[in-house]
Amino acid sequence: MGVVLRNLQKVVPLRRARLRRDVVTLRHILGIQKFDLGIICVDNQKMQQINHIYRKKNTPTDVLSFPFYEDLRPGKLPCPLHRDELNLGDIFLGVEFVMKQCQEESLDLHGALTVVTAHGICHLLGYRHETEEEWTEMQQRENYILSEYSRLTGRHLDPLMKRCSQDR
Amino acid sequence: GTRQLLTCVSCCCVMATVWFKHCAKVLSHLTFKDIFNNGASSGYRPKLFSSKLLSPSVSCGCGGLHTEGDKAFGDFLSDEIKEEKKIQKNKSLPKVSGGWELEMNGTEAKLTRSVSGEKVTVTFNVNNSIPPNFEEEGEQTQQKPAEEEVSHGEGEEESDIFAIREVSFQPQGDSEWKETSYNLNTDSLDWALYDHLMDFLADRGVDNTFADELTELSTAIEHQEYIKFLEDLQGFVKCN
Repeated sequence: MGVVLRNLQKVVPLRRARLRRDVVTLRHILGIQKFDLGIICVDNQKMQQINHIYRKKNTPTDVLSFPFYEDLRPGKLPCPLHRDELNLGDIFLGVEFVMKQCQEESLDLHGALTVVTAHGICHLLGYRHETEEEWTEMQQRENYILSEYSRLTGRHLDPLMKRCSQDR
Repeated sequence: GTRQLLTCVSCCCVMATVWFKHCAKVLSHLTFKDIFNNGASSGYRPKLFSSKLLSPSVSCGCGGLHTEGDKAFGDFLSDEIKEEKKIQKNKSLPKVSGGWELEMNGTEAKLTRSVSGEKVTVTFNVNNSIPPNFEEEGEQTQQKPAEEEVSHGEGEEESDIFAIREVSFQPQGDSEWKETSYNLNTDSLDWALYDHLMDFLADRGVDNTFADELTELSTAIEHQEYIKFLEDLQGFVKCN
């Protein structure tokens, strides 16, 4: 199946091909090409709704991850027995939320979406940031991903300054 | 000439159409003298069905058939038209943002827009556009209509607002659809190609916003046409 990309919003003009290309690059860096992945782009209203339902936080956010495998050791790839388990899960991208951040910080939207997606994929692979130790481990992994991305594409991406503790 | 009412009521369709045509042909041979003198002056004596349903009860002098059933039908239609007009949000059609111009030809609508010298045309027909299980009180919303065969995805919550189904090269203008042109079906399409096609459309103003506004427009057109049809039907039933 690969990467299933859905755009459920009309607030942000999205470049689907660019987003897909970047997600493919991220999958290659992490060695997860054989796993299916869902990327769903939503607006603030939808994001707030999902955040409220699943995290009891009635506010929009930049990314929400819904892992297929809930108890992975950080960075350890799952070993599925069946083809229908070749799935990492779904990532909801709060594109409107990210766009507002980009406008405030003069950042490229699609670059920022790639960074946020990388963060979301790390969550699908078991990374957390509940404790200081977990945060450091996740940040190191993300830095590696972004430096590899830069090496492969020639495009430099900075990690987002504010790490939202709002996402999963 | 006598208008033909083409009904489309399940299996009675063909029979109803034939009956109306026959009736019209028959009545055209009769004159007032024939009717009131039992056709004595002409050698032609048409045989009408003798069912109670067809017994004329009112003569308005038009030579047409008017039954109690027709009167009840006409009264029903008056009420229907009144109700539908009440539901109608606006008499005028909603605008589609982005500089699109609308042309109507009966139930067919054409939206056109120029983008840097390139002409983009979106055509759709509101006929047969109400899905059978999609009915809210007093209002029916259409499926997304098509130019590039875009259609509404399944699963309201997590599918794209619109999707591309098929892509092909076709002759310009109103020429016949060329069946021999390669038709790309997106069911088994490379997704990167699909995304490029979606970006291509978005650059020309066909995006999620457009799709939403198109639904509003096509719903309003369909409703307008339905009311017009009811009014035509009322006129036909009252005096054909």
